[in-house]
Amino acid sequence: MSSIRLSARQIAQKVRAGELSALNVLEDHLRQIKAVDGVPGSLQNASLDPAEEGKVHAFIEVSTGLARQQAEKVQTMVQRGEDPGPLAGVPVSIKDIFCVKGTTTTAASRILYNFRPPYTATTVERLEKAGALIIGKTNLDEFTYGSSSESSAFQPHPNNPWNTQRVTGGSSGGSAASVAAREAPLSLGTDTGGSIRQPAAFCGVVGLKPSYGRTSRYGLIAFGSSLDCPGPLARDVSDAALMLQVLAGLDPKDSTSALAPVPDYLAALQEGVRGMRIGLSRDYDHITYPDTLTGEMSVQSIQPEMNSAVRDVAEVLARLGAEIVEDVPMPNARHGIPTYFVISRVEAASNLHRFDGVKYGYRTSAPVRGLSELYRATRAEGFGLQPKLRILMGMYVSAAQHSAQYYQKALRVRSMIRSDFELAFDPQGVYRLDALLTPTTPTTAFRRSEVMGDSVLMQYSDQMTVAGNHAGIPAVSIPAGLDPLGLPIGVQFFGMDFREDLILRAAYAYEQATENADWRRAIPQALRESEVSA
Amino acid sequence: MKTYEIVIGLETHIQLNTTSKIFCSCKADSWGAEPNTNICPVCSGLPGVLPVLNVETVRKGALLAAAMHAEINPVSYFDRKNYFYPDLPKGYQITQFDEPIGKGGYMDLQMPDGTSRRVRIHKLHLEEDAGKTKIEDGERLVDFNRCGVPLVEMVTEPDLRSAEEAAQYLTQLRQLLRWIGVSEADMERGHLRCDANVSIREAGSTVLNTKTEIKNVNSIDAVRLAIIEESKRQIEAVEAGQRIQSYTLDWDADTGTLRKMRSKETEADYRYFREPDLLPVVLSAEEIAEVIASLPELPIERRARFIQDYQLSAYDADILTSERSLSDYYEESVRLFGGAAKVVSNWMMNDLSRLMNDTGKSAAELRLRPIDLAEIIRMVEGGKINPATGKSLLGKVEAGGGKPAEIVEREGLGLIADEDALSGQIAAIIAESPAEVESFRAGKESLLGWFVGQVMRRTGGKADPKRTRELLLEQLKR
Ligand SMILES: [Zn+2]
Repeated sequence: MSSIRLSARQIAQKVRAGELSALNVLEDHLRQIKAVDGVPGSLQNASLDPAEEGKVHAFIEVSTGLARQQAEKVQTMVQRGEDPGPLAGVPVSIKDIFCVKGTTTTAASRILYNFRPPYTATTVERLEKAGALIIGKTNLDEFTYGSSSESSAFQPHPNNPWNTQRVTGGSSGGSAASVAAREAPLSLGTDTGGSIRQPAAFCGVVGLKPSYGRTSRYGLIAFGSSLDCPGPLARDVSDAALMLQVLAGLDPKDSTSALAPVPDYLAALQEGVRGMRIGLSRDYDHITYPDTLTGEMSVQSIQPEMNSAVRDVAEVLARLGAEIVEDVPMPNARHGIPTYFVISRVEAASNLHRFDGVKYGYRTSAPVRGLSELYRATRAEGFGLQPKLRILMGMYVSAAQHSAQYYQKALRVRSMIRSDFELAFDPQGVYRLDALLTPTTPTTAFRRSEVMGDSVLMQYSDQMTVAGNHAGIPAVSIPAGLDPLGLPIGVQFFGMDFREDLILRAAYAYEQATENADWRRAIPQALRESEVSA
Repeated sequence: MKTYEIVIGLETHIQLNTTSKIFCSCKADSWGAEPNTNICPVCSGLPGVLPVLNVETVRKGALLAAAMHAEINPVSYFDRKNYFYPDLPKGYQITQFDEPIGKGGYMDLQMPDGTSRRVRIHKLHLEEDAGKTKIEDGERLVDFNRCGVPLVEMVTEPDLRSAEEAAQYLTQLRQLLRWIGVSEADMERGHLRCDANVSIREAGSTVLNTKTEIKNVNSIDAVRLAIIEESKRQIEAVEAGQRIQSYTLDWDADTGTLRKMRSKETEADYRYFREPDLLPVVLSAEEIAEVIASLPELPIERRARFIQDYQLSAYDADILTSERSLSDYYEESVRLFGGAAKVVSNWMMNDLSRLMNDTGKSAAELRLRPIDLAEIIRMVEGGKINPATGKSLLGKVEAGGGKPAEIVEREGLGLIADEDALSGQIAAIIAESPAEVESFRAGKESLLGWFVGQVMRRTGGKADPKRTRELLLEQLKR
C-alpha cells in the first residue's frame, strides 16, 4: 500500500521502527504529486493544456533534492539505531512564505522570484530536526494577501482537490490542497486573518492557528506582524497536534515568541470533552457586510449548512458529556474585518518597504534615471495588484492626518474584540468557556474567479476567523461534513491563550465520534481522477 | 544695525559603545572594515528576519538619561519610522517616538568666563543607525556596516545663545559620555554627530523665528564656525529685508562654507507606528534604581568638590576633571600620599601630564599607578631623594622598572643619610682645596656654591643639598 494513505503518525512510527523507508515514503508522495499536481506555478503564463484544469497545482517548487537528502539522513539514523525524531520520514509541504535555505522563497510574488534565503525559518528548522522531509514550497496568494490563492504571481494557482473549478481558499491554499490531495500528510501554513483555517475548511482538512507567540515568526516573510501565526495543516486532529508539538516553543530569534510551557498535545487528546464548556454565539451565525457604494452595514445570512454543521457538532459533543453554553455574546465580532483592514494593511505597507530592487529580488530592467525611478519601476513591475492595494490603503490610514481616525481607532477596537473573548473564557465569569464553536467560513469553497477582483468581498470570507488573530488566541478548523454539492464544511473552535490542548481535545472528540460517518468516506475529485487514470 | 541674538538647538546622535549592534549580534563598531563585511540578514533587512533587542543598549541609554537628569521611562516602546532610502535596508528605521527611554532633562553649561547656562533636553531616545551611500564613478554604492549600530538621539531645546555655547555644550557632552562610559564620543569616527538648528532674533525678543538646519558638522570647531557663518548670513539677509527660509544646509569643512541641500518647507510623514516585532521595554523600579545608583559623580560635581576640598584653582580643577580616570587617579594619589593635595596636583599638572603626553596613554592606562606616584612624592618630600631623581623615577616605573623604592635601592639613588660619611667627604675636599678655602675665608663667600658642586660631584648627586651647605659652612668657618 502506498504510504500516501498513512497518517503522519503512522509514517513516523513505521520509519522509526524500520518497517518503512523514508526514501520510499518520499517516492510515494513524489509519485502522487506527479499524478495530481500538474505543472508548478510559474511566472510564465504560457497557454496551458486543458488537462491542467483538473489538476491541483499546489506547488511552486517541489524540492526533490532537499527532501531526498533528508530522507537519506533519516534512514542513516534509523540504521545506526538513532531516533530521527517524531516526524521521521514524514513529508511536509511548506507555504512559500517561509524562508528555507536551499529553496527559492518567492512569497508568490514577482518581486522575490529569484530570492534564495541564506537561512531557514525556525519553524521549518524544527520540522527538519524532527525528521521531516521538506517536499516542496506551496502556492499562495501573493504575499499571503488574499483568501483564494488566486492572486499568486505564479500561475496556475492552486485548485480545490474536491472540485478543481473551485478555489482552495487562502492564503495557505497550496498547503491545504497538498494535504487534501495526499501530496503531503502535513503542511506548514500561516494565518493572519484566517489563512490557515479558511483553506483548511474549503479543502476538508484540519488547520490550526496557534496563539500569537506560540510558534516562531522568524524566517516567515511578514504580512501583518502583530497578527501572523505559523501553524499546521493536517488530515486529522492527531497529526495537527503532533506537528504543533514540534513547532511550538520559545525562539530567541523572535522577541514576540512566548515563554509559556508547551503541554503534551497528543496526550491531551485522550482526555475527552466530559465537563468541558463549549460556547455557541449568535454573533457567528450571520455576517455583517458593507455596501461597497454606501458603506452601510447590512446583516446577511450565511450558507445554512454552516449553521447546521455547528449544531451537529454541538450535539455530538453534548452526547459525549460536554456542556453547551448558548448565546455567548461576541458583540465586537462584526468589527473584525474593518479593524483588520486597517491594522493589517498598515503593517503590510511597512513590511513591503524593503522590497525596493536595491538588495535582492526583482529589479526593473527598464532604463531609469535616478533612485526614485528605480524604486517606482521596480515596485510597479514587481508587485501584483494586491500588494499595491494594500500599500495604498496602509499608507492612507497611517498617514499623520488620518492615523487617529483609522489606525489608532482600529487598535482600540482590536482590544474590544479581545475583551469579548476574555469575558467568555473568564473562569470566574458568567460563561466560563473552554472553547467557542463557530463556523469557519460563511460559505463552502466558491467558484474560481467568482470573488477574485473584489477585494472587499474576498476579505469578508475571513469574517468568522479574523477575531482570533486580533485577540491572539488559538483556533482550529476541522471538517464537519459536506454540503449538497459535495464540498467540505469546516467548523472552528476558538480557545483561550496557549490552550491549544483544549480546542484540540474538543476537535478530536468530535472526530472520533464521527469516525464512521458516511461523509468521511467521500474522496476528493482530483484523487478519484488520478486513481482512475492510474 | 539692531542687535541680534542667536538661538541654537543641537541635535546629536551618540553611538553607544556596546559590543554588538542593537538588534543583531554583528559587532557594533566596524570602523575601518571593508564595506558590507559586518552585516547579517537582520541588519541588512532580508525578508522574514526579526530584530532582537540588545539589552545593553537599554542600560546605557538609561544611564545617559540619568546623567542628563532626565526621567527614565519605566515602559518605553520602539516604533517604525517609514521612509525610502538605499541606506535603510528595511525601508523603515526602528526608533523610539512618543514613549522614549528618557523624558526631559538638562545640562548645566559652565562657560570659561564663569557664567553658566541650563540647556534643556527636548528628546532622548534609542534608535538604530542607517548605512552609508556614496556616488562613485556615476554609480551609487551602499555600505550596510553601520546599519543597526545603537544610537541615542538627543535633541536640546533652543536654549543655546552663541556658537561658543554650542561648542561648550558639545565639549561637555563629549566629556560626560566618556565619563559615564556609554560612548567613545569620537567625533571624527562618527560616534558623536551633530546637526545645529540656527535662527536669529532681535535681542530681547522671545519669539522663535524660522530656523535653518546645518548638517554634516563633524568636529566641535566646525560646529562653532558653521554657526558663526550661518548667523552672519541670516543677520545680513534680515538686514537686507529678506525672509529666512527653512533650509537644510551642508557644512563643507574644507572650504568653511555652507551649501544649501534642500528646502524643508514640508515635513515628511514617516507614518510612525509601534514596532510589532519588539516587546515594550519595561524597566522595573529596582532596575531604574540600579541604573541611577551606578551613575558616577558627574564631572561638574567633581570639579566643584575638587575646588572646595583640595583648594585647587578653577584651571587645575578643569584639567584634573577633564577625564574620569585622570580625576580618579588624582584623588587616589592624594589619599595615598596623605600630605598636601596641592603637592599632588603640581606633580600631576606638570610631570605626570608630560609622561602621559610622551607615552600617549590615559591615566587609566599608565603602568605607574597612584600608589607609585604617592610613594615618589613622599620620598622627595621626606628628603630621601632629590626632586630630579623623583621625576626620573616616574619614567623608570612606567618603563617597567618595578616599585619606586626598589629602583632607588637598586640604583643607589637615595641621598647620603650617614652624616659622618658626608662630613668625611667635605673634610677631604677642604683639605684638597687650600687656595679656595683661603679665598673663602678672606670673604669671597660666593665660593660656597663651588664647594657644594664639588661635594655633589664626589657623591654622585646623592648628598642632601641643604645639609651639605650647613656642614660646609661649619667646617669652612672653623
Ligand atoms: Zn547584523
